[in-house]
Amino acid sequence: MKTPISSLYRNPVKFRMPTAENLVPIRLDIEIEGQRYKDAFTWNPSDPDSEVVVFAKRTVKDLKLPPAFVTQIAQSIQSQLAEFRSYEGQDMYAGEKIVPIKLDLRVNHTLVKDQFLWDLNNFESDPEEFARIFCKDMAIEDPEVGPAIAFAIREQLYEIAIQSVVSARESRMSKKGRRGAEYTPVSKGGAVAVDLVKLFGPKSSVVRKRKEWDVYEPIVDLLSNEEVDALEAKEERSFR
Amino acid sequence: MATEASPSTAETPPLPPKPPPPQTLPPASASTTAVKAEVPLSDSKASADVNVIVVPSYSRWFSWDSIHECEVRHLPEFFESASKSPRVYKYYRNSIVKYFRYNPTRKITFTDVRKTLVGDVGSIRRVFDFLETWGLINYHPSSSIAKPLKWDDKETKPDSASNSTESSSAPPKETSKRLCSGCKAVCTIACFACDKYDLTLCARCYVRGNYRVGVNSSDFRRVEISEETKTDWTEKETTNLLEAITHFGDEWKKVSQHVAGRTEKECVAHFLKLPFADQFLHYQQHPASNGAVSGTDDGCKHKRMRLTPLADASNPIMAQAAFLSALAGPEVAQAAAQAALTTLSEAYKPTRISYRSFPKNTLLQDAGITSNGGNTSDSFQGSRFHANIQLEKEELDVEKGISEIIEVQMKNIQDKLLHFEDLDLLMEKESQQLEQIKNMFFLDQLTLLFHKSSAPKTGECPEGNYVKTVCD
Repeated sequence: MKTPISSLYRNPVKFRMPTAENLVPIRLDIEIEGQRYKDAFTWNPSDPDSEVVVFAKRTVKDLKLPPAFVTQIAQSIQSQLAEFRSYEGQDMYAGEKIVPIKLDLRVNHTLVKDQFLWDLNNFESDPEEFARIFCKDMAIEDPEVGPAIAFAIREQLYEIAIQSVVSARESRMSKKGRRGAEYTPVSKGGAVAVDLVKLFGPKSSVVRKRKEWDVYEPIVDLLSNEEVDALEAKEERSFR
Repeated sequence: MATEASPSTAETPPLPPKPPPPQTLPPASASTTAVKAEVPLSDSKASADVNVIVVPSYSRWFSWDSIHECEVRHLPEFFESASKSPRVYKYYRNSIVKYFRYNPTRKITFTDVRKTLVGDVGSIRRVFDFLETWGLINYHPSSSIAKPLKWDDKETKPDSASNSTESSSAPPKETSKRLCSGCKAVCTIACFACDKYDLTLCARCYVRGNYRVGVNSSDFRRVEISEETKTDWTEKETTNLLEAITHFGDEWKKVSQHVAGRTEKECVAHFLKLPFADQFLHYQQHPASNGAVSGTDDGCKHKRMRLTPLADASNPIMAQAAFLSALAGPEVAQAAAQAALTTLSEAYKPTRISYRSFPKNTLLQDAGITSNGGNTSDSFQGSRFHANIQLEKEELDVEKGISEIIEVQMKNIQDKLLHFEDLDLLMEKESQQLEQIKNMFFLDQLTLLFHKSSAPKTGECPEGNYVKTVCD
């Protein structure tokens, strides 16, 4: 019944987002003539490329941005899509990877801080569903928070997936096949894959340690206008 | 690591997602009853009441809990693939519609909605476009119907380098072929020309309302364009066509072969244009089709004569109705006309007299003409039915009157009879009395005779004679 972990590491899977829907997180941050446009959304890579231009035009029209944004937006989306597609043909290792996902975002007046574990092997996982239920459970009134949460999750999953592709390539090149089981990938965000063997082994218990309780509890805060302004000013400064 | 996912700094209105104010009418029935599928694409009246959401009549299938088949048809991605489920589609659709209805006077943009929905933007955009074209969101009937649809707008965008609408409204007008300025398709069946703004629209665009702002639907007049202007269909060809159709039915290749010199397309188009087309399909079942062919041929010419008066009406709505009824086939037009009549009759109940004035002859005449005539005969049948009801009522009244008269007469006779009986009784009594007197008189005479006979014997004979004569 139990397949040894090492064998899982040896069977590579074609790269894809480890979610039920193969959607790409797209982040836009464009500045033209003093006007700044920041956005983040999910895109379906199987949509035809004509959609990109259509979407760009639509967004510019809806937000009444100067038309110079159209090409920039389209280009940005297309380059991110191309990057995604470049990973697509390659292998990634699907081990028993349970990674912690961290949420630390501010949408309008709502501040969300959370951390939870996510199973990378579950290709039926659905960040959108998670986000929907999260907002419902936490009684978040702002409807823009849901998509932001889904996007954040997706982005992190995307990064981890990329990491696994890179590591698979590296390990193949350096012929570390046999020792793949000991290799724990570290993602940019510092999310370390949890070692299931240790966690569920006989020496430790399944119950989370007390000091970790605060970390894993979701925090949703409603900010006042001044706090929002202060935070925004801080972001601008850090951006520059 | 994902830090902040702040939305764009461009203007987005803050959206407290309170539930929409309770609506006095459910959305599906909010379309006013003035539109009862007579001209299925016309818009409903605008209502000034904020609590009433106006929905065009062609979208009245919409309901919160269920998914209609046209939604399945237009957005198959949600219903065919394994990942996207109808539940997701419902979630998108309901949230978009709720968002719009929360404040129905303003126009929502795709970006507003996209930011609030969890999901990939491509499919959200498709749902949004679908809802917008069907008038479930951003629908403001007070503004003229002449607002061009969003996705048509996008199609013309790549065409025109500049944003001027002048370029799109000046079509290259050729005498042989007409290009529609709305959808850039070749106009075949019928055109609508607006001289005021120099526009030509194909029937589809006209009916959909795909023209510029400021242009009213009544500015258009109908221009018949048919392939008949190129080559008129002679009677022979039409007979051939009909024969071929009876023999071959749906095999248009063979039909076109049978009709010399006509392509399949032309055959089909011409057949559809023949107004009795639908009825003729029923004729295919009957063996007496050949007779019917020639019969309907003559009827067909007369039919066309009858259609054109309607079609040339300066009122384009009538023209539209005629055109649509010709295209849609007799059953649909029949149903539409009946529905229209029932509403009219409800509205005009006090003036029932008008129904009776239809003489029966004209009713029968109209009933004798083919399918479009069939429509009017049905409407006359309705009025005839009413007239019959009136007649029956009258008859009942008359009968009542007659029976009353009869009763009175009978009473009269009875009284007279009684009177006669009384008289009879009297008569009897009198006659009895008379008898009695007679008898008494006789008795008196007898006694007198005896007295006389017993007294003198000699004077008997004259008295005897006298008595005899008296007794006789």
